[in-house]
Amino acid sequence: MSKSLKQKTVAYGMVMPAFLVVMLTVAYPIVAAVIQSFQDEETGEFTVENYTYFFMEPAQLRNLLYTLFVVFVTVVVALVVAYLLALYLRFVKSKIAKAIGTLYLLPRFVPAMCAVYAMITIIRDSGLVNRIGLLFGVDIHLGMMYHASGIITMNLWFNIPFAAMMIAAGLGAIPDSIIEGARDVGAGKFKVFTSMILPLSMKDVVVAGTFVFMTNVGSFTTPYLMGGNAPKMLGIALFDQFNKYLAYNRSAALSVIMFLICSVSAGVYIYTNLKEQDWEKQ
Amino acid sequence: MKMRRIGAALLAGAMMMTALAGCGGSSGGEAGSGGSSSGGKTVTLWATGSDNVRTVYEALVEDFNNNSDYAGEYEVELQFMLSGTGTQTLTDMLAAAAKAGQTDTNYDIVDLGGDDLSKIVSQIGEESFVKLDDSKMPNAEGVDAESSVAADYAQPYRGTTVVLAYDSEKVANPPATWDELVAWMQANPGRFAYNTPGTGGAGDSFARTAVYNFMDEEAITSDDAAWEEDWDEGFQYLADIHQYMYSSGGSIVYPNKNQGTLDLLNQGEIDMCPNWADMVLSQRAAGTLKDTIKISQLDPALTGSFQSLVIPTFGSNEDGAYAFMDYMLSASAQEIMVKEMAAIPLIDTSTIDMTGFEDVENLDVNNFRIMSIGDLSTDFNERWDNEIGTIG
Repeated sequence: MSKSLKQKTVAYGMVMPAFLVVMLTVAYPIVAAVIQSFQDEETGEFTVENYTYFFMEPAQLRNLLYTLFVVFVTVVVALVVAYLLALYLRFVKSKIAKAIGTLYLLPRFVPAMCAVYAMITIIRDSGLVNRIGLLFGVDIHLGMMYHASGIITMNLWFNIPFAAMMIAAGLGAIPDSIIEGARDVGAGKFKVFTSMILPLSMKDVVVAGTFVFMTNVGSFTTPYLMGGNAPKMLGIALFDQFNKYLAYNRSAALSVIMFLICSVSAGVYIYTNLKEQDWEKQ
Repeated sequence: MKMRRIGAALLAGAMMMTALAGCGGSSGGEAGSGGSSSGGKTVTLWATGSDNVRTVYEALVEDFNNNSDYAGEYEVELQFMLSGTGTQTLTDMLAAAAKAGQTDTNYDIVDLGGDDLSKIVSQIGEESFVKLDDSKMPNAEGVDAESSVAADYAQPYRGTTVVLAYDSEKVANPPATWDELVAWMQANPGRFAYNTPGTGGAGDSFARTAVYNFMDEEAITSDDAAWEEDWDEGFQYLADIHQYMYSSGGSIVYPNKNQGTLDLLNQGEIDMCPNWADMVLSQRAAGTLKDTIKISQLDPALTGSFQSLVIPTFGSNEDGAYAFMDYMLSASAQEIMVKEMAAIPLIDTSTIDMTGFEDVENLDVNNFRIMSIGDLSTDFNERWDNEIGTIG
């Protein structure tokens, strides 16, 4: 056996377990789900009814639009807040900034379930906010529980630190010399931001946005504990189809729909990365 | 690689456990061989449920083996299957053993809930179980409760039911009938909630009872799809009371899970909700619910169920099984179940120390309404989600 063949065998041998695991646990179920989603529940014949159900049934269509709304607001607000936070951490050199710099990642280490329950005890109509209000004679009812605003607040809690972490890494890579150079030729603070910092960090913002988008499309814990009955987020709608109605073909179709929604954002992510490489080539 | 090694070790461990369990099983069978009723010392008890059920059973088995009248004569071994963890459920295992024509197995005595019992009876027939002879268990005389299926073959030993849980500080006289309940809701809009059906038994019971109140009595224990046509009136009723339910953020809300409504009640956001009697009382005893929260029952009642013991004919220690059944109906065993899980005792409560669980005494097990609509529940939940959950 030649040396290179031996090396190849070893290399493929080492990759093989991971490859098989991925094929068995990721690729095969995806293919199976796509096939199942086009099959009739009773007869197994080809049909697109499983898909039209989610777009024709008013309640299901509302679920879809509601999910997109919640996710869209989450992405936009998380990015804006995270960007401001990252700017502050990058350009302000103070003890407070340093302290925030170490503390802001803390939410990532709190188990999701604990965080959701903690948020509930604060914002529910009889929660901490209400009780503090009562001390001053005001009966505050936030009305955030079982409402989109509660879910969005919780999503921000999870996603702002994550987005800030990615954007801060991008801002950290901008050398001080570029900014000083721009200053030297007379650019004001605003000009430095719009023509230097923003374009240079845009890629990280887009990448952070795609990740926040994808993780929230299929979220379950938060909407299950904090969401209302209708409309529901798609994660809950999927749970209903699968666990409550035992409609496996429709569940498969909804999974594919969610997969397609996520792949739009995955496409943006890949496009952004490729564009970068083009620019580097020139 | 490390992960795979750990995985392999776990797998090997699991396989060894199964092998050992298998050995234990066959030796238990041999111990009781030589005629199904001659009996040895060992009695194998099979049960399934959540972890709190396991704790209670461990206490009961220890009490039986050490302190009961049968201590020394029989030794009970518990085989507990935590619900939702095994690939095979207890009913599947029983059905498999019966259909394979096995005899002298170690399924000496089996604990089954109402749904599991009707499932197994429809699979292998009630004659797969020993027709119970009350003379072999003196304590059965004090028990009036009867199983809704296979009444001569299954011995109920505890009950639980859905009740109205309410805050006695806000509600002085809880409603006793459904009309009174609606009147109370109208007078107190936003102070009642039931959890989304399909997310917890209390909401299931409330919604289904409300619908089946408008139907023939026999419908409640039938899984015939023809009954679905009679649901309309009940669903209209649920739609009518929708406007009086708890609301948050400007729309009516049905929380998920039994605990969801119980939390709202405990926080004072609502004054009344349907919930499981044992859940309310054990949480109150543990101090996680306010002392002012009490329970009462409606007429017609919200649904409940019995937990029963059966003796498979293919077991190997019938006398021992009778002994344990008799023990489970004794005052000391019933008291353990009341104290540990707020179960509703099926014997005369004057012989039991009910301190802290006085509310249980008022739940008359003879008025228990048993519901088993089988697969119709799936359609029911879907219709509820589409018609009631979406009103907003």
